[in-house]
Amino acid sequence: MMKLEAIIQNSKLDAVKTALHEIGVEGMTVIEVRGHGRQKGHTEVYRGREYSVDLIPKTKIEMVLADALVEKAVQAVLGAARTGKIGDGKIFLSRVDEAIRIRNDERGEGAL
Amino acid sequence: MAASSLLSELRGSLSDESARIQRQFEATGEGCAAVAQRTRLIEDILLKLWREIISPDSSEPVNFALVATGGFGRGWLFPHSDIDLLFLYADREAEQTFKDPVRRFSQELWDLRLKLSPTSRTLAECDRYDTNNTEFTISLLDCRQLAGDRDLFRKLHDRVIPKLVVRESKALLQGLAEVTRERHAKHGMTLYHLEPNLKEAPGGLRDYNVACWLALISAMDKLRDWPDSSSIRAPVRKQLEAALDFLISARCFLHFRHGRDDNSLSWEAQDEAAARKIGTGDAAELSAADWMRIYFGHARAVQRTVMQLLEEIPEAWSALYRQVQSWRSRLSTADFSVVDGLIFLQQPSALQDPEVLLRMFHFMAHHGLKLSATTEYRIEQALPALAATPPRGAELWLYLQETLLQPHAADALRAMHSLRLLTLLLPELKLIDSLVVRDFYHRFTVDEHSFLAIESLHRLKQAQSEWDKRYGGLLSELEEPELLYLALLLHDTGKGVPNGSHVEASLDIANRAMDRLDVDPKEREEVLFLIANHLEMSAALRRDIFDPETVKAFAEKMGTPERLKMLCLLTYADIKAVNPEALTPWKAENVWQVYIAAENYLNRSADQRVHADVNDEKLARLRSLAPVAKNKFKAFLEGFPQRYLLVHTAEEIMRHMQLAEELGNDPVMVDLKRGRHWYELTLVTRDRPFLFATLAGVLAAWGMNIVKANAFSNEAGTVVDTLYFTDRFRTLELNLSEWARFRNSVTSVLLGEADLEKMLRDRQRSEKGAIAKVKVETKIEFDDSSSATSTLVQVIAQDRPRLLHRIASCLSDQACNIEIALIDTEGQMAIDTFYLTSGGKKLTTEHCRRVEKALVEELQGE
Repeated sequence: MMKLEAIIQNSKLDAVKTALHEIGVEGMTVIEVRGHGRQKGHTEVYRGREYSVDLIPKTKIEMVLADALVEKAVQAVLGAARTGKIGDGKIFLSRVDEAIRIRNDERGEGAL
Repeated sequence: MAASSLLSELRGSLSDESARIQRQFEATGEGCAAVAQRTRLIEDILLKLWREIISPDSSEPVNFALVATGGFGRGWLFPHSDIDLLFLYADREAEQTFKDPVRRFSQELWDLRLKLSPTSRTLAECDRYDTNNTEFTISLLDCRQLAGDRDLFRKLHDRVIPKLVVRESKALLQGLAEVTRERHAKHGMTLYHLEPNLKEAPGGLRDYNVACWLALISAMDKLRDWPDSSSIRAPVRKQLEAALDFLISARCFLHFRHGRDDNSLSWEAQDEAAARKIGTGDAAELSAADWMRIYFGHARAVQRTVMQLLEEIPEAWSALYRQVQSWRSRLSTADFSVVDGLIFLQQPSALQDPEVLLRMFHFMAHHGLKLSATTEYRIEQALPALAATPPRGAELWLYLQETLLQPHAADALRAMHSLRLLTLLLPELKLIDSLVVRDFYHRFTVDEHSFLAIESLHRLKQAQSEWDKRYGGLLSELEEPELLYLALLLHDTGKGVPNGSHVEASLDIANRAMDRLDVDPKEREEVLFLIANHLEMSAALRRDIFDPETVKAFAEKMGTPERLKMLCLLTYADIKAVNPEALTPWKAENVWQVYIAAENYLNRSADQRVHADVNDEKLARLRSLAPVAKNKFKAFLEGFPQRYLLVHTAEEIMRHMQLAEELGNDPVMVDLKRGRHWYELTLVTRDRPFLFATLAGVLAAWGMNIVKANAFSNEAGTVVDTLYFTDRFRTLELNLSEWARFRNSVTSVLLGEADLEKMLRDRQRSEKGAIAKVKVETKIEFDDSSSATSTLVQVIAQDRPRLLHRIASCLSDQACNIEIALIDTEGQMAIDTFYLTSGGKKLTTEHCRRVEKALVEELQGE
């Protein structure tokens, strides 16, 4: 099992969700986050006051996937979230040792 | 251990009887019967065990008694409620003596899987009030002897409890009020939840009990003894009989359905309760929404009673609160007296006049007061007569808008709604009365959501957080906030219409409501715009808000900064009222991003020109209104900035066109009128250098404070300048004759017949310099990229008399032609944007530097 975390543009959430559902990903956690990578933010001017947006609002999605689904999910996120511009986000993958469904103790990929 | 045969007999009878009670409930739906039978069943089991373990020789023990408290004491044992028991001892010695049998007794009950909530206390301990455990003392108010030493129980009941209550009545009432307020706060202070908790939520069974306890403690305090039981419970019970029967049946239903003490009315439970007509007897077929309306009706009655008691029992409030409330008595007027924060009528018959009624809710919304029970009763009595000829039209709208603008508007609306007055005045709101719309994010019924949205805007005025302060700033700038509040009240009414888009339905309903209120067409257009677009900003958030195309599309849909501001606030309030956590700082920031991007876009794209041949909704409307030949229409509109069409109504544009036609006879046409917030001066003339500066100068010379201004010109060189100003010295307000003199003065200065400089010097001499409360730093910013034909300059400076005249004169001195001027004021900050050309072209970099230098010198030269 792998955990996939992706930080994407807010406007791409619907497209990424749809792409993931299409390949059979059933559940995910969506988190409102702020941050910056190389896209360091910018400064807006509103009524003469500089308004610095150094931490840009982004969306993070997290899901734990069966091994067979990992690469497909990565491709789905890449396909749906990419615009080719700075600020498209990143995907992180990490290994997960165990998953347990609280309701019935089910373990492993069956609990996903 | 009790004989195993007895245990197995008890287990059998518990199981059989419980099943029988459930079957009977399912057949009859009578909750009161079910809880009474369950109480008897448990009593029976307890007594059998008592005789087996505590008093096997049939003689009752001395110095020890078994007492039912709480719900069990009241005789309301719900199928899965805890069984509240008190093991009462005369003293420690008795406690020691019965320690083992009591442990066995409890053990057997647990083995029968009964949920016991036992407490052991000596008589002396019962006499102590622990402020951290108000619940225990309160539970004693429902005590009932089950077995054991009768004299001991009588001591508790007849001596200890009355003395304790009398001694501690104030602390008890305050403690009870405190835990009640805390519980209500946990439920957002409202009963209108989509999935309410039938026991704990405001208006639930717990509130019913609180009402009885409050009444009982007050009565005991007066009588210094137990009152006749019927005198306490009976009045509350009578008032709330139907509500109590309903709530008891519904809670029984939930316990049987969930198999545990789970009192939440989930959507699935609502469906089933409606299908089984729980608590509604022989009613016709009910939808889940109808059944919930019945529930909310009962809960509303319970909540009203408990809130009235909390308000009316002086001891239920802290000393500080009483002080504040008593201070408020000074608010009394000829119509209303205020006693302890409650409104009473000076003349009970006054409500025959609907205006008094409307004034009362305005008074309430203004001061944050509540209605006394007698006032509510009088309103209820007055409603049938009012229903025959309800107030309507502009007068009603005037009262309604004045109420909407007051800081406690939402509470006044809630009170009007709860008394059925709001739906009598605006029957359109019946559609969303207590309406549950199943939505994963929404927590409240549609009516409460709308009130909460209004409330969250008013709360912005005391904003603490950074985000709220920003939005609060926008609210203070609105020209007609009452339109925003009306839009919030009506924006979701369409949710009461099944199928189809709720936005479309809300527009229909809002139109009907505004017919009733006789809202003027211009205001109506704004309200409808807000309702039609109330989801637009949230939709924009789902697109790339940093993409210029997204910003452009959204900003163009908004049209004017005023509409953008109102929609931004509506979006803020709408999200905030979904549930307490819905407006995360993340979301607040995103909404704000969209707002500033669109606001900046609107100010920097104001020079997109009108082409009169293009098919556009506004142009089509104008054509239909225009009695003039097509070529005249085209000649007038051609080349005006698009912004001109957006900030003026079709009727205003028609008036400008008329004035322009008369320019042949009179080279300067001036129109002056008084709006709700400020005066409005419109000038139509031929373009010439220093025109805008001169106009601003005349107003300054008259001591007028320019709040906003727009200056536009068309391709043919006709200028339409509109200046909105306040009359600082009330010259126009107090002297009607000054209107003509003022208009003439504008004309003669513009025609060069009067000396503006002299007028300004005279004004300056008569005015002492006021000291600014807030220092605003001057900022001058050029933008050469936003417009294809002009250079934009934005000047931000401390607002002061003659400022606009000085800036505009300075620009004209520097050979700049002002193509468009967008003038705005925010508190003490003037924010002026000018679109400049020179010789028909943009300004060169060198020219910009010169202009900047000149402006800096001008604005520093105080």
